[in-house]
Amino acid sequence: MGYLFDPDNWEWLVTENNFQFLLEGFLVNVQIALIALVCSLILGLALALGRLSRNKPFAFVVGLWVDVWRNLPVLLVILYVYLAMPTSWRDFYEDVAPPFLSEAVQSGRVFAALLALVLYNSAVLAEIMRAGIQSLDRGQNEAAVALGLTYWQRMRLVILPQGLRRMLPATVSQLITLNKDTTLVYIIAIEEVSRRGRILTGFNFFGGVQAPLLQVFLVIGLMFIVTNLALSRLSRRLEIRERRRSGTTVRPIEGLEDQVATAEAR
Amino acid sequence: MSSWIELLTENFDALASGFWVTCRLVVGSFLLAAIVGTFVAALRVAPSKWLQRAGGVYVETFRNIPLLVLLFIAYFGLRRAGLPINTWTAGISALGLYTAAYVAEVLRSGVFAVSRGQIEAALSLGFDQRETLRRIVLPQAMRTVISPLGSITIAMIKNSVIVGGAVAINDLLKESRIIASRTFETEAAFFWAAVGYLLLTVAATLAIRRLEHRYAIRR
Repeated sequence: MGYLFDPDNWEWLVTENNFQFLLEGFLVNVQIALIALVCSLILGLALALGRLSRNKPFAFVVGLWVDVWRNLPVLLVILYVYLAMPTSWRDFYEDVAPPFLSEAVQSGRVFAALLALVLYNSAVLAEIMRAGIQSLDRGQNEAAVALGLTYWQRMRLVILPQGLRRMLPATVSQLITLNKDTTLVYIIAIEEVSRRGRILTGFNFFGGVQAPLLQVFLVIGLMFIVTNLALSRLSRRLEIRERRRSGTTVRPIEGLEDQVATAEAR
Repeated sequence: MSSWIELLTENFDALASGFWVTCRLVVGSFLLAAIVGTFVAALRVAPSKWLQRAGGVYVETFRNIPLLVLLFIAYFGLRRAGLPINTWTAGISALGLYTAAYVAEVLRSGVFAVSRGQIEAALSLGFDQRETLRRIVLPQAMRTVISPLGSITIAMIKNSVIVGGAVAINDLLKESRIIASRTFETEAAFFWAAVGYLLLTVAATLAIRRLEHRYAIRR
């Protein structure tokens, strides 16, 4: 305990720009998480609809795709995609990466990380969306068919607005998982927060240790706790507002990946 | 394709030992997660406000911190602080304590899913608090938590990879990376690692489905 709270061990936090250095690293994580989230949501919706398709062989192939990616460890996927990706893809990404992103996010390695995170998370989100859509009453779809709506009209006007609202809590917890998973890209040498933490705590030019590792990583952990707590609060807020506005109850979907199924307290 | 099978037969011992290490890691962490998770869940349903709050702090901390950061703290952090912790202790305790937060949440929701009427009926039949919990609430709660506990177990199998990535434990992924860098057959080496992990997750899925089939309550 003495070691933990010793002021000497916290000095690094206020010296030079160490804290800013970590914070900039954390921003890289946030950017990667956001880009991966947007892409995964789009691809995930496509996969969910594919899995629910009437065309049985097609639905089977999509289902197989989703199940394989969902059941592989993310770290393995990141490493594999990174090692297997042709250099031309990376160069392409470096050419098209918009300049408002952090410098670290513009490096070609990030493309491999993004691709891996999207492959994994789109599969997980596809399952969440499928569960959301399937939890709707059959009558909703039948009524929409009876009203003469086409497939896309039914999806856009009837099924998705209801189904997606139900999957909001599950999606937010997947977003939290995704945010945590962005630390894993350290393994392909992207300079994000955990790698910057290692840099801070590494040996300096003269062979002395720079900053105490325990404290640095506690600070990094705190950054994640704060953002993730804020996210889950936000989703709770949205859910309650939505419930009040529409007068419906949102039932959480249970039994999905790395997230907690919260049964409604009765 | 034949070269892929050759890679497997030539490196079978290394891959099998990695697979075995992963299994031990998963089982050890699962036991720890079950024990700590039950304890934290008990805190969260305890009658005292302060105990509930303590349980809540545990869950929110361990659920929102990346496992990798937790591992760095548990291994390198404590070593630098002068605690001679070894890789297995650090790996199992990081993965176990991380998973315990999820387990606690599921167990708590399972307890809350048992309807109030059940508890009231038990109390009015003359069961005391402890007996009500043991004979009425827990048996029913256990049945509702099987499938969410199953998905946590599968997530834990996948998370075990992170342990091998951060500290020096030669699990399945580590072994296959060693093979990949020795033979330059990245694709084949990673393919067999993926097969190993799929074997574990599929086996877990099937086991859970069986348990669910026997015990779960259909609603």
